[in-house]
Amino acid sequence: MRRTAGLLLTAALLAGCSGGFPADPDGTLERVTGDALRVGITANPPWTELEDGAPPSGLEAEIVAEFAETLDAEVDWTTGSEEALIGDLEAGELDLVVGGFTGRSPWSAQAALTTPYTTVPDEHGEPEPHVMAAPLGENAFLVRLETFLLEQHRDVLP
Amino acid sequence: MSGRGTAAGGGVTFGHTELPEEQSAALRRAIRLAWGTIAFLLVGVTLVYLVMGSSQAMKAAWAEDLLSFIPPMSFLVAVRFARRRPTTAHPYGYHRSVGVGHLVAAAALLAMGTFLVLDSGSGLLAAEHPPVGVMHLGDHVFWAGWPMIGAMVLTGIPPVLLGRAKMPLARTLHDRVLYADADMNKADWMTALGSVVGILGIGAGLWWADSAAALFISVSILRDGIGNLRVAAGALMDARATTVDGDEPHPLTEQVDARLRALPWVEDARSRVRDQGHVFHVEAFVVPRDGRAPGLRELAEAREAATALDWKVQDLVVVPVDELPEEMLPGVAAAEGEDERRAGAGSR
Repeated sequence: MRRTAGLLLTAALLAGCSGGFPADPDGTLERVTGDALRVGITANPPWTELEDGAPPSGLEAEIVAEFAETLDAEVDWTTGSEEALIGDLEAGELDLVVGGFTGRSPWSAQAALTTPYTTVPDEHGEPEPHVMAAPLGENAFLVRLETFLLEQHRDVLP
Repeated sequence: MSGRGTAAGGGVTFGHTELPEEQSAALRRAIRLAWGTIAFLLVGVTLVYLVMGSSQAMKAAWAEDLLSFIPPMSFLVAVRFARRRPTTAHPYGYHRSVGVGHLVAAAALLAMGTFLVLDSGSGLLAAEHPPVGVMHLGDHVFWAGWPMIGAMVLTGIPPVLLGRAKMPLARTLHDRVLYADADMNKADWMTALGSVVGILGIGAGLWWADSAAALFISVSILRDGIGNLRVAAGALMDARATTVDGDEPHPLTEQVDARLRALPWVEDARSRVRDQGHVFHVEAFVVPRDGRAPGLRELAEAREAATALDWKVQDLVVVPVDELPEEMLPGVAAAEGEDERRAGAGSR
């Protein structure tokens, strides 16, 4: 019994390691790399700013552009309301949504909220962790993004 | 009777029943193990909570750890009550506290099992993809699945050892709460292994592995709940005394009958035995030879002979009757004739 369990574990580990660990059930990281990162953005200055006729700007827009560069990918921006964008993320039509989300975001059942990449005081002076929204369960992509955020953008201030 | 009441001096008692040395030692050890289990669970629950993240299997395992607090606590409370002496208001003593503790533990298991089966089942049906990202300690960034697996391995092993230590004590003490607790502890490694497989499954890109592992854990909790509820409710409804696992009639019933039948003045004897929790309550019906009414001394001897059989048999009444009463001993008429030769082996 115990030996079978051990064998199963080893098998699972080996299977996992061969295709990258953790892996994406829907292959997001593989598809994005060297191609296009489809990002939904909703205005929430100073984190994200949208102006007619200009590409999206703001702190998070810059971070996303940098992240896309590490994947050798173009950013394909989609603008819209938070709810519409999260819906697209759930449906697999977007790879990432930004809009100054915080750790208190109500979307945690619809999206994988990243580990906070910075924590700044909100308008009441309470510490507020800032996060981005990735697709649920695409763990290779999530780990890549979170590692990037943690290593490159610790304690960014707006 | 009153002499026995003050004999408690150094010995441990359950109500009136003074425990033999073996049972006293088992009780002390069981109480130490119950406190040990609670201490371990406090550490385990904290550890698992810290690394749990959004894995369904980890959530199920955590819920099971939380539930595991109930049996050792019920055991400690039940034993405390069971040791009280009978009072005017509680002439049978407080032994039933074991039954109440067992029922509470079983109901908690059943409720949590149902909740978790629905929760993980709906996760599977809705094809929820669990996200497991990274954790960081200082500058070190790593996949959050690894600390989850570490926590499950750490919290999976000690309960198995605790369960193995408690099981023989539960039999010695005839304590159902302790038995249920030991049984759950022993099964804990499956929960831990289930969670580890679920997390490795997430890592391998199999989104359903986690929910499937959670479902497997929840079904085992639910099954524990149903089994325990059946035995606990049965004991509270005065089912005949059974062995501590609830599987077979307790051999003591046969032994009491055989002992009484062996008395020279007894033609036939049958008893009705219910499990009060730890100890039994016995009503022994004896038919004297040739319809001759027994004297007070003979009745006292009969009582002493039966109570000398086992520490669990203290609360015993001997009722002389001219024939065994079918309305109090169901099945007695059917079994007539083969009665004398039914030595040892319990019949269903």
